[in-house]
Amino acid sequence: MKFLISLAFKNLTRYRRRTLITAGAIAVGIMMFIMIDSMLRGAEYESVRNLKWYETASARIYNSEYWENRHQMPLDINITDYKEKVQKLEEKGYTAAPRISFSGELILNVIDFGEDGSMPIEVTAIDPQRDFEVFHFKDTLVEGRFLQPGEDGILLGSWFAEDIGAKVGAWVTVVTRGNGGFYQSMDLEIVGILNCPNPNVNRSLLMMPISTASDYLEMEGAATEINIRLADNANVKAETAKIKSITGNNSLSVYSWEDLAFDFLAIAEAKRGGSSMILVLIFIIAAVGISNTMLMAIFERTRELGMMRALGMSDSSIRLTFMFEAMGIGLIGSIMGVTLGICINFYVVNVGFDFGFMLRDIDIGYRIQSVMRGVWNFDTTAIAFLAGIIITTIVALLPTRRALRMDIPSCLRS
Amino acid sequence: MSFRIAKTAFKNISRNMRRSILSGTAIAVASMSIVALFALIGGMSQDMKNNLRNFYTGDVRVRNKDYEEYERFNPVHLTVNINKAGEAISKIDGIESWVPRVSFPSSIYIDGSTFSAIGTGVDLERERNYFDLDSIVVAGRLPERGKKEMIMGAVLARNLHLELGDKITFQTMTADRSTNAITLKITGLAAFPVASLNSKYFWMPLDRAQDFLNMPGEAQEILVKTSHNIKPLLAAEKLSAALSSSGTELEVKQLEDISMMFGLIRMAETVYNIIGIFFFLLGSTVIINTTMMVIFERMREIGTLSALGMHGRELVKLFLLEGTFISAIGAAVGVAAGILLVAYLSKTGIDFTDAMSGMEFEMSSILYPKLNAGKTIFVYFYAVAIACLATLIPSRKASKIQPVEALRYI
Amino acid sequence: MKRIILTILAIIMLPISIFAISGEEIVRLADEAQTFKTAKSSGEFQVTDRFGTKITSFNSWARGESESFIEFTSRAERGQKILRTKDEIYLYYPDAEELIRMQGSALRQGVLGSDISYEDMTGGKDRAKQYTIEITGEEKVLGRDCWILKLTAKTRTVPYPKEIVWIDKKSYLVLKGEYYTKSDRLLKEMEVLEIGIFDNIETAARTRISDTMKSDSETVLVLKTFKANVALDNRIFSLEELW
Repeated sequence: MKFLISLAFKNLTRYRRRTLITAGAIAVGIMMFIMIDSMLRGAEYESVRNLKWYETASARIYNSEYWENRHQMPLDINITDYKEKVQKLEEKGYTAAPRISFSGELILNVIDFGEDGSMPIEVTAIDPQRDFEVFHFKDTLVEGRFLQPGEDGILLGSWFAEDIGAKVGAWVTVVTRGNGGFYQSMDLEIVGILNCPNPNVNRSLLMMPISTASDYLEMEGAATEINIRLADNANVKAETAKIKSITGNNSLSVYSWEDLAFDFLAIAEAKRGGSSMILVLIFIIAAVGISNTMLMAIFERTRELGMMRALGMSDSSIRLTFMFEAMGIGLIGSIMGVTLGICINFYVVNVGFDFGFMLRDIDIGYRIQSVMRGVWNFDTTAIAFLAGIIITTIVALLPTRRALRMDIPSCLRS
Repeated sequence: MSFRIAKTAFKNISRNMRRSILSGTAIAVASMSIVALFALIGGMSQDMKNNLRNFYTGDVRVRNKDYEEYERFNPVHLTVNINKAGEAISKIDGIESWVPRVSFPSSIYIDGSTFSAIGTGVDLERERNYFDLDSIVVAGRLPERGKKEMIMGAVLARNLHLELGDKITFQTMTADRSTNAITLKITGLAAFPVASLNSKYFWMPLDRAQDFLNMPGEAQEILVKTSHNIKPLLAAEKLSAALSSSGTELEVKQLEDISMMFGLIRMAETVYNIIGIFFFLLGSTVIINTTMMVIFERMREIGTLSALGMHGRELVKLFLLEGTFISAIGAAVGVAAGILLVAYLSKTGIDFTDAMSGMEFEMSSILYPKLNAGKTIFVYFYAVAIACLATLIPSRKASKIQPVEALRYI
Repeated sequence: MKRIILTILAIIMLPISIFAISGEEIVRLADEAQTFKTAKSSGEFQVTDRFGTKITSFNSWARGESESFIEFTSRAERGQKILRTKDEIYLYYPDAEELIRMQGSALRQGVLGSDISYEDMTGGKDRAKQYTIEITGEEKVLGRDCWILKLTAKTRTVPYPKEIVWIDKKSYLVLKGEYYTKSDRLLKEMEVLEIGIFDNIETAARTRISDTMKSDSETVLVLKTFKANVALDNRIFSLEELW
């Protein structure tokens, strides 16, 4: 065995150039595989993160009847005495933030906006002290300041602000229906503008303090939802069950972020199908290159093969030798490819590609605002590394078998 | 002399048939995938453009001049007279077909919930001339002229839990700025090639829609398709002139001015072409690789040849010719296979329905790749050129080495 | 000193307020003045928006305070009907094969694109129960002496938490009304432009209503004929009869 390995190794070094060229083809394939996989995973990873950070949190508590009616954003189907519930959750070590979500009409006046107008909107009322613990709006402020509890202020997403031509310091009026159905209007000052990396949020975000909203809408201590942040590695299913038992209340239901973002996940699932097509294509091209060079290498050496057999080497030993050789080429290619892939991935992960010009106007489902960045993925790298070796080895088997089927004289003659 | 070299090259190719086929195959596979990829990209952008043209913009769109200003208030009453517009259109050369479209946002009330949908009144005969109307029907049939029937976007029907044969009542604002409602029977389900149409729209016969909205002889917009020998911009200018000379002030716009999507598609094409180039590079490495390999494997032969007195330039020429022949044939086979593959796929289509749902892209769920003659030819010559270049490097090197040295290679 | 004057003033004022009619009473009388056992009327909606004015004519029948039936007669709307029963509003359209029952957010739409919402048509007239009522002053409207009443909602279920109405002291007609959000933003205005006398009954002949959320828009409701306490076929207000 040792002899076979050293023979294969000798062959590798003897045909150094061929070894390098074949390994090069493998390397390019592996590098591309790593890079594209990194980008696709990166897009998904970032989307999921932006979903959790700015849209869904890790889990959310609603009134049990809310989910069915969530599109109407009812205020009367709510979580009563949210403060007590938040406190309970916090005692058990959870980070929780209550919110009130409602829909209404945004009235713009001619003085601040140059034109009178109105548009349907959705407003999120947040607890300025708690919300940052669960959501990640802290770093998104681009202008003005954050909300203070109880003030008549509002924060806008930067794309939304751009669309309506809003400036910090301008006043807007929100007309809506309070808890029960009465008309309510709120004059709110735009105190800040947030640039949220989640485009779906940035396009429509309006945020006001929960205490203000609670007063105006007469919520009487109720909130429409309580959002909860879990550690990244938490078992969301188990945690939601635990949260459910803490609330200990049958009128409330707990939803994980996966429940809340089910449509995104469905799309992501479908997209993964499309992305793997690209990866398969890359692999096919790379495999063609690999098999080709391996085939060539073996056919060119039919004579050598005949010689070895004439000298009494067994077929299985010959097959093993060639397999070892192929494996060696695969190994070199994989090492080169993974190294190159890692190098390129440094760029993909740290700098990324800017698709901002497209994502501003078109919703492609990903929650990415502009720069598509890659992500480090050990699994892919390992799979690509092993696949490089295994495919090369398998591909070498076929021509070896054919060569071994020939009788020794015709081997020698060719 | 060079004829003799060519002959030798040919002989070499046929003598080492297996090797030649192998290296040819690599070139073929690479060029085939590149041809297919470019066709896919071409099909994708062509498809988006076609969908925009068929469903939103035409090549030229005629609307009431105030429509755009008030668009967000659903100005159903700001219409275009179909006959007058038709007359003006008939005066212009290079018009392929045109269709009037009536569109109205409407509310549907089902079991106490309100849903919204957009209705479109269409002239079914004209639509047939305008685009492949029957291709959108996935179940049932198109509505019939004069009947209270409609074909509904399949996704909309699914979301509302509706089936063929169900009757639905819609309420909408009419051209009198009044309200009206009508009950229509779902006779067909449509797979509009555009996701957003699929989940929001239903189509009904034009005459019924006009009657219901109280706007006989009128439409919200007229979409015009021009033939290839006239630029949309020019057609728009001519049509505008023809219309204003007949005393009707309308807004006439060409497609690029209507939807920024066309600009975006162009940008997207660039992105896709970059992806294409990636594949191209990958394919190139296969070609280079195989060709170089062939040469290195034949060092011994090179040694023999130079021992027999063939030198320098001749050797380079010989290998170059050999490489050219092989790659010319390989690339030809590959491009042909690519064309066949694309031809097959352009008949059957590639289904992206699942991947596309939820995207706001004007792209069809089923994609039909489209060949671009220029790009295909480019791929062919590129593949040949790359292969030749790849031969050049090792064969130049081979031509420089001493016979003895070359013979040492097995 | 100041206190003494105030006390004297209070003593002088006291008898007046004892005998004066209360806000609740005024609202009750106003509601009564506009409620008939049965009534039949005809008239038109003149809806003006940014695109011009549209006129829709109608015939209407009413019974008691909560039942009414409107049939439109103008060309564009001919055959359309609205039936209002105690709790529901139904729309009938000639081309539709089913009745449309308005509920939830659909109630917020304007009737025929006007400034009057379906919601404005509903709701009992039992305002004395739903609102705290106080008399805030007096003013002349259309040359008539009116009380100014401020109505503040006791419940959260009424759409307008605050209303200010001007009620004619003589006829108890509401001649002017302003409807506010909880935070005092004016949402809707109503104003009688002309009072008509039909069969010795005084009622609003021309009323202007405007929704401040819709810019450049107003609706004038014109009453052309009005007859109270007419004999009506009871079936008018039944769903079956809509067909």
